[in-house]
Amino acid sequence: MLTATRTLLALSLPLAFAGCAQLQPDAGLGQVQQEMQTRLPAAALPALAWDKGSATAEQRRAQVQALLDEPLTADTAVRIALLNNGELQARFAELGLADADRVIASRLPNPALILARQVQGASVEIDRSFLFDLLSLFTLPARRDIATRRYQESQLATAAAVMALATETRKAWYDAVAAAQTSRYLTQVKEAADAAAELARNMANVGNMSRRDALQEQAFYAEAAAQREEAQAAETAARERLIRLMGLWGQQTAFQLPERLPDLPRHPEQRSEVEAIAMRDRLDVLMAKREIEGLAKSLGLTRATRYVNVLEVGYLNNSFNDQPRQTGAEVGLLLPLFDWGEARNARAEALYLQALARTRDLASRARSQAREAYVRYRTAYDLAEAYRKVIVPLRKQIGEENLLRYNGMLISVFELLSDSRAQILSVNAAIQAQRDYWKADADLQNALAGASPRFDALSLARPAQSASSH
Amino acid sequence: MNRRQFFTHSGVGLLGAGLISRAAAAALPEAASADSAATQIPVAPPNGRPFHPVITLNGWSLPWRMKNSVKEFHLIAEPVVREIAPGMVAHLWGYNGQSPGPTIEVVEGDRVRVFVTNKLPEPTTIHWHGQILPNGMDGVGGLTQPQIPPGKTYVYEFIARHAGTYMYHPHADEMVQMAMGMMGFWVTHPKDPNTMRVDRDFVFLTNAYDIEPGAYTPKVNTMLDFNLWTWNSRAFPGIDPLVCRLGDKVRIRMGNLTMTNHPIHLHGHRFVVAGTDGGWIAPAARWPEVTVDIAVGQMRAIEFTADNPGDWAFHCHKAHHTMNAMGHQVPTMIGVDQQKVAEKISRLIPGYMTMGSTGMSEMSQMQMPLPPNTLPMMTGEGPYGPIEMGGMFSVVKVRRDQKPGDYSDPGWYQQPPGTQAYEWLGELQPAPRAAAGRARPGDMEMRVKRNGHAH
Ligand SMILES: [Cu+2]
Repeated sequence: MLTATRTLLALSLPLAFAGCAQLQPDAGLGQVQQEMQTRLPAAALPALAWDKGSATAEQRRAQVQALLDEPLTADTAVRIALLNNGELQARFAELGLADADRVIASRLPNPALILARQVQGASVEIDRSFLFDLLSLFTLPARRDIATRRYQESQLATAAAVMALATETRKAWYDAVAAAQTSRYLTQVKEAADAAAELARNMANVGNMSRRDALQEQAFYAEAAAQREEAQAAETAARERLIRLMGLWGQQTAFQLPERLPDLPRHPEQRSEVEAIAMRDRLDVLMAKREIEGLAKSLGLTRATRYVNVLEVGYLNNSFNDQPRQTGAEVGLLLPLFDWGEARNARAEALYLQALARTRDLASRARSQAREAYVRYRTAYDLAEAYRKVIVPLRKQIGEENLLRYNGMLISVFELLSDSRAQILSVNAAIQAQRDYWKADADLQNALAGASPRFDALSLARPAQSASSH
Repeated sequence: MNRRQFFTHSGVGLLGAGLISRAAAAALPEAASADSAATQIPVAPPNGRPFHPVITLNGWSLPWRMKNSVKEFHLIAEPVVREIAPGMVAHLWGYNGQSPGPTIEVVEGDRVRVFVTNKLPEPTTIHWHGQILPNGMDGVGGLTQPQIPPGKTYVYEFIARHAGTYMYHPHADEMVQMAMGMMGFWVTHPKDPNTMRVDRDFVFLTNAYDIEPGAYTPKVNTMLDFNLWTWNSRAFPGIDPLVCRLGDKVRIRMGNLTMTNHPIHLHGHRFVVAGTDGGWIAPAARWPEVTVDIAVGQMRAIEFTADNPGDWAFHCHKAHHTMNAMGHQVPTMIGVDQQKVAEKISRLIPGYMTMGSTGMSEMSQMQMPLPPNTLPMMTGEGPYGPIEMGGMFSVVKVRRDQKPGDYSDPGWYQQPPGTQAYEWLGELQPAPRAAAGRARPGDMEMRVKRNGHAH
C-alpha cells in the first residue's frame, strides 16, 4: 500500500519566553578589554571594537592614520594592529557567534504547527499537529549553561588572540627596526671594503700590489656589497611583516620607524615567581579552569570532597588519604575533586578525570614555558649587556690601538680597514642582541599572561626567516 | 750601583785575608747592582794588577774583592727592567740589575772566582765564552756541571790565561735565556798595562729582541724576525755616543749574541780588525776595513786613530737593523694616490691619516701617537733635522778639545765654513725625470734576445 505524505505547511511560531538572554553590546568585547587592561600597556591597548558598519570603519581608519603620522613605537604598532588586523576582526566575529549561540540556547525552541496531507489509496487525510519540544524544556538550563560557558571561553580565547597579536606585532616591530639598523651598518661595512678595494686598485695601477692581492680586495668588496643587498632585502621583509600584522596598505605603509631600538632597562625584571604568575594570569589556564568548572556542573557534580593541585593529579590514587603534598613554592592550580560514590557515575568520573589530566598537562607546560621564557629573557639581557658594555667597547679599544699601530707604520691601512669592518660587525651583533632581548621580553609577557606560544587563535603569518644576516 | 759603598765593604772583606776558614770562604762577596742604563766610567782598579779599564756602552764594570789573591766577583742572575731607549723599557732577564750584565775586567794570569746566584725562576749556568779553562768550569748545563737551581749559588774558579775579548752567557735553556737578555762582556787585560795600549777602549754586545709594540717582554720563540736591534740592550737614540779626543788611539770591541750577522760600519775612518775572541791578530796580519762583519757568536776588536774631527755615524749596515719596531708586512705606498680614498676611510676611522705616498720620511717628521712603550720606527733629532734612525746606530764623536779621559757628550759638531754640503743656488736646468710609479710590465716593449737559459 502506498502512503504518500506531503507536508503542506510547517510554521514556526515565535513564542515569547519570559527572562530570555540578550545579545551583548559589541559581542562582549568589554570583558576582553577588561582582561587586556592588566596585560598590555595603556599606550598599546585601543578600545577594542568589532567593525560592523562603515561608520566604525571610518573612525578606525582615522585613528590608525593619526598613529601612523608619528614615528611608530612598539606600543603604537601594537595599537594599530589591534585596531586594524583583519584576522582579529574575524576573531571578534567568532565571539559574536558565541554570543548569539548563547542567546539562542537560552531560549525555548519555538513550537511548530505542521499541516500534512496523507494519501492512502483514495482517502486523503489532513493531519494537523502542534509540536512542542518538551525535552528541550527540560534540558534548557543545561544547554544554556553550556552555551554561556562556551561564550565565556570564547571571550578568554579572544583575549588570548589579542595577546598573541600584540606579542607578534611587538616582535615584528623590533625585527623591523633592527633590520633597518643592520642594513645601515652593512652599508658601512661595504664602504670600508670599497675603500680597501679602491686603494688596492690604485696600488696595483702603480705596481705596488700584485693583481692577485688587488683582486682579493675586490672580492671582499663584492661580498660586502652582496651582504648589504641581502640585509636590505631582510629589512624589507621585516617591515612587510609588520605591515601585514598592522593590516596596512597603500599610503599607510609609508610610516616611519625610529632610527634605533630602545635602550635596555637599567636592570632586568627580577621575577622569582614566574610560575605562580603564569598559573594566575595565563589565559589558556583560565580557560581550562572554566571548562573544568563547567564540566563539573554539567555532570551534576556538586559535592566536592576537597581541592587538589591539578599538578599532582597523577598522585591522587596513591596519596588519597595523605596530607596534601607540599610542592615547595606555592604554585598550583587548585581544582575540586568529587566523591564519585556509585558506579553509575563511572562515566562522569572518567570525563572529569580526563579533563583534569588535560588541565594538568596544560598547567605543567605553562609552568615550563614561563620558566623557559624567563631564562631566555635573562640570558638575552645578559648577552645584550655583554655586547654593549664589554664586547663593543673592547672592539673599539682594539680599533684605537690599531690606529696607534698604523701611526707607527706597524700595520697597513688594509689591516686598519679590516679591523673597522670587525668593529662594525660587533656593533651589529650588539644590535641583534638588543633586538633579541626585546623579543624575549615580549615572549615573556606572553608566556606569563597570554597563552602557549602554540596557541593559534590567529593564523598569524610566521616570519620566513629572522633578519639576522650579516 | 754604589761603587763607594762596595769598596768600603770589600775593604771590610780584606780584614779576613789570610784566614783560610771555610766559614770565611763561604761568605759571599757583595753583589753590586746598577739601576740605570747610563754609561758608568770605571775608575782605576783599587787593588790587584793594574790595567786600563774599558768603557762599556750604556753599562758598567763589576767591582770585585780580593780574597787571598783571588779576584772574587758575584753575579746574580735575575729578572730586570731595562730601558731600551727613553720611552721604552723591557722586562728582561739579566745580571745585577741590568741586561746585559756588568762587564768583568781581569788581568791575564788572575785567579778569578765568580759566585753565581740564581734568582731566576728556572735553572741556569754561565758559560765563559772563549776562555781556556778547566772543562768543569765551562758552564754547559748537563754536560760539564749540573744546572744551578733557582735560589742556589755556584762558584766558578779559573785562571784568566789569555789577554783578550770574551763574553759570558747562560748555557742552560740557552735560547730562552739569551732571548731574554742574559749576557755580559768579559775583558782580560794584558799583564803589562802598556801592551797594545789604547786611549779609549769601548765594548758592547749586540743583541736583538722581539717585543710586540705595546708589550714589555720579548717573544722568546722568535728566531729571525726581531723588531729591536740593540747594542747592550739599547736602541738609538738610547745608545751613548763614543766620544774621542782627536788623535786618540781607539779600540771598539764588539760581540754578537743575536741570531744574525752584523756588518758594523764606521764613517770617516779606516780601522783595522785587531782581534777576535780567539785572540789578538799579529800586526802584520791585520787588514784595513770600514765595515767589519760580526758573525753570530763572534767577537771583533777594531782599532783606529781618531784623526778626523766630526760626528761620525757608527752603525750596523743592515738598514733594517737601524730601525726600531716596524711592520715588515706593511705594503709600499710610494706613488699611490690616496687622496680620494682617504675621505672614505676617514669617515669610518676618525683620526686616520694617509702615510707613505712619498716614502716613510714623514714618519720621523710627524709626531703621531704610538702604542705605549713603543719607540718610533725611525727617530732622533740632529742639528740639521731628523736623523731617521733607530736600532744599532750611534755616533763616534771626535773633538780636538775633548779632555783625555772625558767621555761626556760634547754636543753636535760644528763644521768649519766651506766644509758642509750646500744647496746649489745657481741656474737650474730641468732634469729629465721619470714619472713616478708609471712603469708597469707590459707598458714597455721588451726586446731582449735570449740565448740559452736565463741566469
Ligand atoms: Cu745588524
